[in-house]
Amino acid sequence: MLMLPAFAMLAFVFVLPLAWFFTQALFAEGGIQQIASVIASRAVLQAILATNWISLLVTACVLLAGYPIAYYLANRRGLRFTLVVFCIIVPYFTSIIVRTYSWMVLLGRAGVINRLLQSAGLIEAPLPLLYNKLGIVIGMTYVLLPYMVLTLFATMKSIDRNLLLAASGLGAGGFAVFWRVYLPLSRHGILSGALIVFILSIGFFITPALMGGPSDVMVAMLIERSVEITLDWKSAAVMSLFLLAVTLVLYAVYYRITDLRRLMGA
Amino acid sequence: MITSLTPTRRSLLAGAATLPLAAPMIWMRRAAAAQQLVVRTPGGVFDDVKKQTVYDPFRAATGIEIVPVAATAAKLLAMFQAGQADIDVIDSGDDVILQLERAGALEPMPYKEFTYTDPADIDPGVRRQYQVGSFVYAFVLGFNTTAYPVGKEPQSWAEFWDIRKFPGPRTLADMASGAPNLEFALLADGVPMDKIYPVDIDRAFKSLSRVKPAVPKFWDTGALSAQMLADKEVVLGALWSTRVQVAAAGGASVAAQWNQNEILAQAYGLTKGSRNLAAAVKFIDYSLSPDVQGRWLRAYKAIPVNQKAYAQAPAELIDPATHLPWTKSKGFRQDIEWWAENRTKVSDAWSKWLAQ
Repeated sequence: MLMLPAFAMLAFVFVLPLAWFFTQALFAEGGIQQIASVIASRAVLQAILATNWISLLVTACVLLAGYPIAYYLANRRGLRFTLVVFCIIVPYFTSIIVRTYSWMVLLGRAGVINRLLQSAGLIEAPLPLLYNKLGIVIGMTYVLLPYMVLTLFATMKSIDRNLLLAASGLGAGGFAVFWRVYLPLSRHGILSGALIVFILSIGFFITPALMGGPSDVMVAMLIERSVEITLDWKSAAVMSLFLLAVTLVLYAVYYRITDLRRLMGA
Repeated sequence: MITSLTPTRRSLLAGAATLPLAAPMIWMRRAAAAQQLVVRTPGGVFDDVKKQTVYDPFRAATGIEIVPVAATAAKLLAMFQAGQADIDVIDSGDDVILQLERAGALEPMPYKEFTYTDPADIDPGVRRQYQVGSFVYAFVLGFNTTAYPVGKEPQSWAEFWDIRKFPGPRTLADMASGAPNLEFALLADGVPMDKIYPVDIDRAFKSLSRVKPAVPKFWDTGALSAQMLADKEVVLGALWSTRVQVAAAGGASVAAQWNQNEILAQAYGLTKGSRNLAAAVKFIDYSLSPDVQGRWLRAYKAIPVNQKAYAQAPAELIDPATHLPWTKSKGFRQDIEWWAENRTKVSDAWSKWLAQ
C-alpha cells in the first residue's frame, strides 16, 4: 500500500508519456506501412545486427576485465580495497563525454598509445585503434565496467569461504577450487552483470557516435538522426519500440535470476 | 493548450500586476522581469561571445534582458505542437528555421518595423519572408598546415577527392550533422558550381565512394571536426569556416581554403504566439545593425549579413582581390529549400551507402 504513490508517480511520468508517444507515432495515418518499411529497411536491419554484435562483444570484454577486479575486491580490505573501489567509482560519476574524449586522445592516430609504440620502435605506421569497432568496444567496456564489478562484488561477498576450504580439504587444487566451486557459486553475479551491461549497451549512443567508424551505426544513432535531423518521429518510434522490447525481455530474465523481491526485502 | 491549464511565469505576472499595493516589492521585481526575452541559442561559446557583444549592450540600450535557452530542432517542433510559445526568438541554422516555418510555427519577419538596421543593407540571400540571417559562414576545405603548408593544399574539391596526389586521411560531414557534403561530391565529379541543384543524389554518392577509402570518420558535430583536424587525426576536411578559424586563432595548425565554399547562414525566426513580439523584433533589428555586427562577429569569426559591416569584418574573412567576403567571391549558397524537401531521401540513401 505504501508503494502506491511511487507506482502512481511512475505510471504518470513514465508509462503514460511512453504509451502516448507510441500511439501518436504508430496509429496516425500510414502507421502500419511505416512500421513495415522501417522493419524491411536494410539500414535498420544492419544497425540492429551491429547493435547486438557490439553489445555482445562489450559484455564479454567487461566480464573478462571485471571478474578479476571484483575477485580482488571481494578478498581485500583496508587501503587497497578503498583505492581500487575509488578507481572504479570515480569515473562512474564523470561525464561520459569527457571519458569518451579522453579515450580518443589516448587511441588516436597521433594519440598517446600510438606515439609510445612508435617511439619504442614496435610499430612503423600508427595502429587503427579509433574510428572502428575496436574503438567502440574499448570505449564502451571502460564506461560499463563499474556496473559489472559492483554486481559481481555483491555476489562474491556472499560466497561462503568455508565451501572453498572444504574443497581444498578434500584435495582439490587451486584451479579446481576456482573452476568447480567458486565460479559456479558466482554465476548469478555473472548473469545479472552481463544482462545489465548488455541492456545498457544496446541503447548506447555517445561512445559509438564518437569512437566508431562510418559503418558502425547503432540503433540509438539512427533514432537520434530520425528525431533530430529528418524529424521522422514515426521511424524513431518504431526503432525505440524495438529497443524497448529487447530491454523488457532481458529485464524479465534478469528479474527471474536475481529475484528482486528478495533484494528489496519484501 | 498546456499554457492555459498551468500558471506560467507570465500569467502569474499579470496577476501580480493587479495587486501592486499588496506586494510592491514583488511587483517591482516582476515588472523588471517583464522585460525578458527568451531566445533559443546554440549555447556554449556562442552565448559567451554574444552576451558580451550583443545581449549586455542591448540590455543597456533598451532594458530588455535576453534569456538564452537550449533547445534542439525536435524540441522546438514538439513545443510548438504542444501549443507552448515560451520561446520568443529562435536563433538557429537557416535550415532548421525553414523546417519550423514549414510546420507553421513562425511569424513573418516585419522588416518595416526595423529602426536600427536598414533592411536594404541586409544580404538579399538571407533576407527571407519568415527568417532573417544573423551571420554567414561556410563549408570550407580545411587543412592541417603541418601536413600541407599554406599554398600546397588542394585548391578545389576535385583535388580534395584526388587521394593519390593529396594523400592522408580526411573527414567530411556525416548525415547526423544535418547535411552530408553531396554538393562537394558533385563539384569533385565535374559539375559546375551553378548547376549543383537540384542535386543528382545517385551521382553524388557514386562520387563520395571514390573518396570514402580515405575517410576514417565522418564528423557529426563541429567540435569533433575541428579536433580531428587539429590533432592530425585527419589532414584535410570539409569543415565549418567558423570552427577552422576559431581553432586557428587558438593556436592550432589549421587553415581554410575558400575556393568553392558552400555558404551557410545562422538566422532568426519569430515564434508564432509569442507575447513579446515587439521586443523580439527590436532585438533582431539591433543585432543586425552594422556596429553590433562588427563587434560581435569579429570575435566569432563569422561574416556579417549587414553589408555595411563588411569593413569591420576580420581580415581573414575578406578576399583581398575583391575586398568582399570569401563567400561572395568564391562561394555558392546551400539550397536549404532543396534540403528541406530531400533530407529524408538523402538520409535513407546515406544509410544504404554506408551499409554497402
